[in-house]
Amino acid sequence: MWMAGMAATAIVALGLLLAGSRMVAANTPQPASTEVKIDNFSFGPVTLTVPAGATVTWINRDDMPHTVVSTDDSKTFKSKVLDTDEKFSFTFSKAGTYPYFCSIHPKMTGKVIVQ
Amino acid sequence: MHPFDIKTVLLAKHAQHVVLIHFPIALFIIGVVFDFLAQWRKQLLLAAAAYYNLLVAAIATIPVVVTGILAWQWELEGEKLKGILLMHLVMGCVSSVLIWVVWFIHRRAPRKHEEVLPGYRLPIEAVAVVVVALTGHLGGFLSGVNGPG
Repeated sequence: MWMAGMAATAIVALGLLLAGSRMVAANTPQPASTEVKIDNFSFGPVTLTVPAGATVTWINRDDMPHTVVSTDDSKTFKSKVLDTDEKFSFTFSKAGTYPYFCSIHPKMTGKVIVQ
Repeated sequence: MHPFDIKTVLLAKHAQHVVLIHFPIALFIIGVVFDFLAQWRKQLLLAAAAYYNLLVAAIATIPVVVTGILAWQWELEGEKLKGILLMHLVMGCVSSVLIWVVWFIHRRAPRKHEEVLPGYRLPIEAVAVVVVALTGHLGGFLSGVNGPG
């Protein structure tokens, strides 16, 4: 009887532990997408929120060349000229806001928010 | 950003090329139109107008080529070009050379005697107009003016 009570308590405790860890996982911000599509002279999504350590990939689906260049003076990331269907990836290790633009078409802008 | 902000005018790294390019295109095409009209109507005044338009068009190619190359060096850090960008660069250089060649043909001919202008200049001018137009189209496509954006 005593053993059965202990087992039941252990099972309940394990269940609570698993449920808790699942809730923690659910509360952790997960990136909806780590891919930014370049099309029709715009970045989509314009603002992307990702956790630190995430790798963001830009893919050019437009008919013309584009670049992905961070706006800051130190040029944290800078792609080569991306022709149609070419990709560029960058891993964001530090939290912060990273605005960027296309150096061929400066009106094309976007932002990556790293949490 | 103010449109008359001096920093915008001087430091925008490739905006000058996009602005300046309109001058040689317009001057050259209207110069060729004047030359064809001068040939057809046998009017020295039109021939003179054609000559001066072609002269200024040729001069205007210099800042255009310089700013285009600077845009390549500054914005793309001299990266090896390919695709539309390479085609635009090559055709832009060919266009500039053709504009100078056309002006030089006119320069060599004494403008007091209309018949001394060689007839072979007309097909060269026609080809040059087509190359200039195609180059401009590519430039417009690159800048988004001729594209969906």
